[in-house]
Amino acid sequence: MNQPLAGFAPAPVTARMENHGDHMLKVALQTGNDLFARVGSMVAYEGFIQYEPNPPAVRQIARDWATGEGAPLMKCSGDGLLYLADYGADVVVINLDEDAISVNATNLLAFDAHLTWGVERVKGLAKFAGQGMWNTRISGQGWVALTSRGKPIVVDCGSGEDETYVDPDALVAWSPDLKVKGKRSFTAQSLIGRGSGEAYQMAFSGRGIVVVQPSEDSTDRLRVRG
Amino acid sequence: MAREFQRGHKARISDFTAGTDLYVGVRISAPEVTFDISCFGLDADEQLSDDRYFVFFNQPKTPEEAVQLLGPQAGDTESFRVTLDRIPPKIHKLSFTASIDGAGQMSQIAPGYIRVVAGGQEVARYSFEGTEFSTERAVMLGDFYLKDVWRFAAVGQGFDGGLDALLRNFGGEVAEEEPAAPPQPETGAVPGFAPPAEAAAPPPFAPPAAQAAPAMPSAPAPAPEPARDPAPSSEAPPPPAPAHPRPTVAAPLHTSPGTVPPPAPAPYGQPPTPPPGHGHQPPAPSAPLPPGYQPYAPQAPQAAQAPQAPTPPPFHDPQPPTTPPGHGQQPPAAPPGHGQQPPYGQVPGQAGPPGVPGVPGVLGAGAPSPYGVPQGAPQGGAGVTAALRAFRETPTGQRWTQQNAKLIRVDLGVAGDQPVLARQGSMVLYQGKVDFGYKGAGFAGRLVGNATGQEMQLMRCTGRGQVFLADEAAMLHPIELQGDAICVSAENVLAFDESLQYEVRRIDGHGIPGGALFTMQFQGTGTIVVKTHGTPVVLPVTPTTFADCNAVVAWSAASQVIVSSQVRMRRNAYPGDTGESVNLQFRGAPGNFIVVQPYEVQGSPS
Repeated sequence: MNQPLAGFAPAPVTARMENHGDHMLKVALQTGNDLFARVGSMVAYEGFIQYEPNPPAVRQIARDWATGEGAPLMKCSGDGLLYLADYGADVVVINLDEDAISVNATNLLAFDAHLTWGVERVKGLAKFAGQGMWNTRISGQGWVALTSRGKPIVVDCGSGEDETYVDPDALVAWSPDLKVKGKRSFTAQSLIGRGSGEAYQMAFSGRGIVVVQPSEDSTDRLRVRG
Repeated sequence: MAREFQRGHKARISDFTAGTDLYVGVRISAPEVTFDISCFGLDADEQLSDDRYFVFFNQPKTPEEAVQLLGPQAGDTESFRVTLDRIPPKIHKLSFTASIDGAGQMSQIAPGYIRVVAGGQEVARYSFEGTEFSTERAVMLGDFYLKDVWRFAAVGQGFDGGLDALLRNFGGEVAEEEPAAPPQPETGAVPGFAPPAEAAAPPPFAPPAAQAAPAMPSAPAPAPEPARDPAPSSEAPPPPAPAHPRPTVAAPLHTSPGTVPPPAPAPYGQPPTPPPGHGHQPPAPSAPLPPGYQPYAPQAPQAAQAPQAPTPPPFHDPQPPTTPPGHGQQPPAAPPGHGQQPPYGQVPGQAGPPGVPGVPGVLGAGAPSPYGVPQGAPQGGAGVTAALRAFRETPTGQRWTQQNAKLIRVDLGVAGDQPVLARQGSMVLYQGKVDFGYKGAGFAGRLVGNATGQEMQLMRCTGRGQVFLADEAAMLHPIELQGDAICVSAENVLAFDESLQYEVRRIDGHGIPGGALFTMQFQGTGTIVVKTHGTPVVLPVTPTTFADCNAVVAWSAASQVIVSSQVRMRRNAYPGDTGESVNLQFRGAPGNFIVVQPYEVQGSPS
C-alpha cells in the first residue's frame, strides 16, 4: 500500500543537519548539543526532544527583536530526529567553519545553540522599518539552516566594482563583512513600485556574497500563524 | 516486470534490480530525422567537468569503461552499458540525452522510450512521445544520479537548442570557468572533499547475489590508462543482450561494441578531430587537450584515484570511530541506520555521558549511536562558501540567462543598448549602473486599471549591468522570438526586450472577471519572459482545444480565440459562483500551441 511512498522515507543520518527533499530540514539532535529553531517550524520529531520557547538566553540577546514581543526562537534539546519546515520554503543548510553569515530574521530556520550569534539592526535602514529589517549574525563552527522562497541565488559582490543593490524583501543572507547601507529609490522620477516598498534598496559593497530569493514575499508565515 | 516511469518519477535502482551492470536502451525516432544519443557524466555540481565522461558517437566509452556506447540493437536506437560500481566517485549523475542532428523538432518524434535492462530482463522503462514536446531540438531523457545510492529519474525535459545547448547546459562554459578553478584545490584542503562517505563505502550497492554480472576486469582501473585506443577494443565483454519482446526493428542483435557509429552526418564538421569548442575527446594520450580543459585534465586522475587509495581519505575527524555510515543499504555489520536501533541510546545506564555525542558506552566501538552524528563537514566541504556553492549564479555571455527555474538575469549593455521593460517590483537584485525608469503601461494600464482595479506597471531598465528578476517565486520561461508572434496574458508578462513590438488585445466575454481578458501580443526579434505559477502545460491547438480563461498563459498568435461559455466546468460548484464560467476555445492551423498554468487565479494578491 505504501509502495509509492516508500521513496520518501528518511535517509540514514550522515550529518547533524540535512535536507529531506528541498523543503524540509532534518536535524539529528543529541543531548548537550542544543538547537535554536524558529517557533512553529517543527513539523515532526522522533525521539525525546523538549522545546522551550523563548528561553532566557535568547530573550537576553534578542531583547528587542522586531516588535519586542519576544524572540521567535525556541530551544530544542534532547536526542532524536527533528524535522523542520516553513510553509514549503526551500531550506538551505550551511556548515559554518569559523566563518560568519548574516541572515534576515524571517529567513532563519534553525542553528546550533553553541554558535555565537547576535541580533542587529541593519544600519541605515532603520527609517524604512516596515517589517523590521533585523538580522541575525551567526558565527563559529556549526550548522545553520536558512529558508528561501524558491531556490536562492548567490551573487558575488566582489566581482564588480559597483555596489550591489538588493530588494530588501528578496534578501536572504549576506556576508557580514560587506558594507550595507540603505538606498532610497534612485532618481526622483524613477518611482519604482510606487507605494509597494520597492523604492528602497540595500546597497552592498566590499568582498563577499549576497543570497537572494526569487520572491519578494517576505511575509513571516511562522509568525503570522501566531 | 518492467516498472513504468512517468516523467519526473524517481526511484532507487536497487528497488527494481539488484544488478549494477545495466543495459540502457533508448528508442527515439522520427521520419527523416537522425538523433545523437549521448550520455553526460556530471559531477556534483551537474557540470561536465571532465569531458572524458561525455559518451557519444565520437567517444564510445569512459576511461574506466563504466559507461560504454553499444550502438543500435534489439530495437533500441542506441544503447549503453553502465556499470554502476565502476563509476568514479566524482561522477554523480549520468544524464542520457537525445538531440536532433539536422532539421526537425521533438514534436515530430514517434513514441519512444528509455529503458533499463538488467540480466536480460527489462526492469524500468520511461516512455515518451512527440506530443509531450514542441519545438525542442534536444531532450534529456533520463538520469542515473547518486543520492546516497544510485537512482533513476525519468526526466523528459526538452531543450530548444541542439547538442550544443545541452553541452552548454552541462558546463560548456567550462573553458571560461577556468579562472574559477582555484576552488578545486581549496576543496582539497577542506576536510571533506571527494565525499568520503562514498569513498569509504563504495560498494554497499546491490549485492550481486544471484545476478553475477558478466565477468569483467575487476577493480576499476585506477587511472585512465595512457595508451588506449580511442576505438574500444573488442575485448570488451558482450553486451547483456536484452531479450526484447518486440520484433527487432533496427538491426539484429549484433555485438559490436567496437564499431563507432557511422561517421555522423554533420554538425560537427570533422568528427575525427573534435572541435575545440566542445572538446569532447577520445582519451587518446597524443591528442592535446584544448586549452580550456587543461586544468582539469591533470586533476581528474587524482580525483579518480583518491578513493581507491588504501589510506583513509583526507578526512580528519575528531571522532575516528564514527566514520559516516555508508549510504543506502549497508551490510548488516555496518552501523545500523536509525530505526532498527535501541531508541536513541536511551537504554538506562548505557547512554554515553551527555555532552559526548557519538561515543556511546556499550554499543561497541564501530557503531555510532543512532544519532551520533559525525561533526564532519558535509560533502563538498565546510563553510558558507561551500554550502552555497550549489546556488552560485551561472556564468554567461548571453543577454538573458536563467539562473534557476524562478530567477532570471538580464545583462544590460552587452548586445547593443536595448533597454528592458520589466514588471515593476520584479527586480530582486542588480549590479552595475542601471537606471530604472517608470514606464506606465499606457496601453494596458489604463484599460486594465479601469476594468479591474489592477494596473500593470512596467519599469524601464537602462544602462550597463546585471539585473536579476523574479516574481512571487513563479516559474519563469524566456521565450525567444525571431520574427514570430505570441500572445501572452498581461498578468503573466514578467519582462521583455524593448525591441519587441507589442500591442494590447482585449478579449471581451461576459463572465470574465473584470469584463475582459487582456493579452499582450509580442512580435519581432527579442526575448520575452513569461511567468507561470507551477509547471505549465503546452498543448497543441486542435479543433477542440479549450482553456480556462484564468489559467491560460500564452498562445501562438496565429491561433484564433473564441470565447465560449458553453462548457460548464467544476468552477460552478463553488458557492457564490454565478455559473458563468468562461472558457476560451482556440482554433488554428497545426503547429500552433497554447500554454496553460496549473493555477487559476491570476494576478498578484496585492
